[in-house]
Amino acid sequence: MAYATTAGHGEHDDHHPTGWRRWIYSTNHKDIGTMYIILSLVAALIGGVMSWMIRLELAEPGIQFFDNTQFYNVLVTAHGFLMVFFVVMPAMIGGFGNWFVPLMIGAPDMAFPRMNNISFWLTAAGLTLLVSSAFVGEGPGTGWTVYPPLSSIAYHPGAAVDFGILALHLAGAGSILGAINLIVTVFNMRAPGMTLHRMPLFVWAILVTAFLLLLALPVLAGALTMLLTDRNFGTSFYAVSGGGDPLLWQHLFWFFGHPEVYIIILPAFGIISQIISTFSKKPVFGYLGMAYAMCAIGFVGFIVWAHHMYTSGIGTNARAYFTVATMIIAVPTGIKIFSWLATMWGGSIDFKAPMMFALGFLWLFVIGGVTGVVLANAGIDFVMHDTYYVVAHFHYVMAIAAIFAMFGAYYYWIGKMSGRQYSERLAQIQFWIFFIGVNVLFFPQHFLGLGGMPRRIPDYPDAFAGWNMVSSVGAAITMVGTLMFYYIIWHTFRYGKTAEANPWGEGATTLEWTVPSPAPFHTHEELPVIGAGDHGHGPLHGGVQPAE
Amino acid sequence: MSDKAGRDRKKARSAVVLFAIAGGMVGLSFASVPLYRAFCQATGYGGTPRTENVTAPTTITDRRVTVQFDANVNPELPWRFKPVQRSVDVRLGEETLIHYTATNLSDRPLTGTATFNVSPDAAAQYFSKIQCFCFTEQTLAPGQEVSMPVLFYVDPAIAADADARDISTITLSYTFYRTNGDDKNNANSAGVAARSARGGNG
Repeated sequence: MAYATTAGHGEHDDHHPTGWRRWIYSTNHKDIGTMYIILSLVAALIGGVMSWMIRLELAEPGIQFFDNTQFYNVLVTAHGFLMVFFVVMPAMIGGFGNWFVPLMIGAPDMAFPRMNNISFWLTAAGLTLLVSSAFVGEGPGTGWTVYPPLSSIAYHPGAAVDFGILALHLAGAGSILGAINLIVTVFNMRAPGMTLHRMPLFVWAILVTAFLLLLALPVLAGALTMLLTDRNFGTSFYAVSGGGDPLLWQHLFWFFGHPEVYIIILPAFGIISQIISTFSKKPVFGYLGMAYAMCAIGFVGFIVWAHHMYTSGIGTNARAYFTVATMIIAVPTGIKIFSWLATMWGGSIDFKAPMMFALGFLWLFVIGGVTGVVLANAGIDFVMHDTYYVVAHFHYVMAIAAIFAMFGAYYYWIGKMSGRQYSERLAQIQFWIFFIGVNVLFFPQHFLGLGGMPRRIPDYPDAFAGWNMVSSVGAAITMVGTLMFYYIIWHTFRYGKTAEANPWGEGATTLEWTVPSPAPFHTHEELPVIGAGDHGHGPLHGGVQPAE
Repeated sequence: MSDKAGRDRKKARSAVVLFAIAGGMVGLSFASVPLYRAFCQATGYGGTPRTENVTAPTTITDRRVTVQFDANVNPELPWRFKPVQRSVDVRLGEETLIHYTATNLSDRPLTGTATFNVSPDAAAQYFSKIQCFCFTEQTLAPGQEVSMPVLFYVDPAIAADADARDISTITLSYTFYRTNGDDKNNANSAGVAARSARGGNG
């Protein structure tokens, strides 16, 4: 099954822009992907430092460092926004999505290269605006949920919240454009023979994610615009005094916010599928079930939003519905977990760093998923709402799980992106430090939450001192693991061995491993042809053989 | 090259559809404002009582419920605002007139607007206000005291609702807020007009 050649992509010339123009004006999906990844690495450091400051304050009862408790609120808010909008989304969708969707489907680039450029720069402008919001007035201390009336002009009179709103508008616009670009690319630019049902699961994951972005982010944009006019132009969408309803904000925010959770974790599902298949040297078990489980998760994700609002006064019938609907998500999610386990079952597993992070992902995601089923119950949630149990739950299920998928993806693809392979020994050490760190950090927070410790408060009664100290020690270990990752990046570029086109052997069957490492500036200018018996995702289905 | 032109057309068509979807979702988020209000009024969701197209009751039954009255004033509005009676016992379907009184404690004219709510939520759709001062801007001269009537009845249909028939006490709550721009001369404009103006925002 060698390459057949399809004419028609002669429009790419060999012009290679150099210097700053290569990056600022870039229309190349690999360069833009690289810039997204760098952006997320920078934002992760800022967001990480904020979380370590939070844990430092919480290590002991009493106020140690934050005499200005509004500043603590600002840190909590900015940490959430940074990690969601400027770390996970840029890395997964803008970074790996940009890099590997065209490579995996045999397309020469994204459908709209210039739109790709503006997507990135809108995101970068949003990051700048968000970081500067912390230095305007009293800062946005609203939490990432920005609930009115706390976010209204009466309680946040400065311009900081407006800065935050505009930051999200910019990043949101960038993400919507990026989503449109990805969908058009996947629908129109697949290589001959690469049918939808032969696409690698990472491409499926990004496709479903792009649809979620397309449907959810405009709602956030609308809701934020209403908040902006409420704050500045005297409208009363959310202001009770003018006949508005703050609950409307919660409904709109969570109609966006719950799909947002899946926007973060679906690309991780895709990455984990690629990694587990590669290092188990088997095609993914139940390929179609995996693809449609993601579609199902994406769909159900839009009809469960009010499970974030059980205690806000919604009716009994609404709570019953949202409890049941939320629990249904466990079904497609379970399909995915068991399919990953079945993929590994009987496989000749190679425990390289990406595989270790994939296994770590499974552990974290299952723990977070189980506590999610607990929290889905409206009755139990009345007790747990806004406690550290919720903090532990969502950090396990989406935050740290997503970070593990990202680490896995970095190690999996760094050879393809940079042409240099990471040090396996350093990566293994980093895995264990980080894995132990995050579990010591977040597992005790279940106990604190069950004990009733509220979230978003810089102080707590002495009774919670023990587990808080353990949690902060975990944060310190996590910090070591995080900084070591940045060291490994430097080490890879300085001392890394030259990567082969396919460093992973027979298990790596997707198209990106058929091009040299590092991937050349232009790839797939001659379209690969995927035969009738081939799958882009598994050796037992034939896979795709490199060109002669 | 015609092949390429065809592909570009297809790409552009996909992009147009997707942009339309994104634009439509923005539109839907704004449309949700009047939709949400209509939904609340139709179902009593969030304790929204019926105030529109309310006609006089047709039947009166012997079942009685207690209706309590609650009054709140936002601290920015220096008014005293109280119900004249704490509660009344009414028969289902019986038209009842009660009063609140509001007094301007400050030394300048002030305009306020009241919002209202019925608790428990399940009773709200059966709580019908024929006449009330909901959302009407009220301007009080310094020291002026006014009486504010509410004419209501509890719909007998509540006895047939499995979720609401056990309710024996219903609370009607009002909160007065200061209206922005006290110096406007259009105080005491009709509540309906004020409401439809707000509806236009959505």
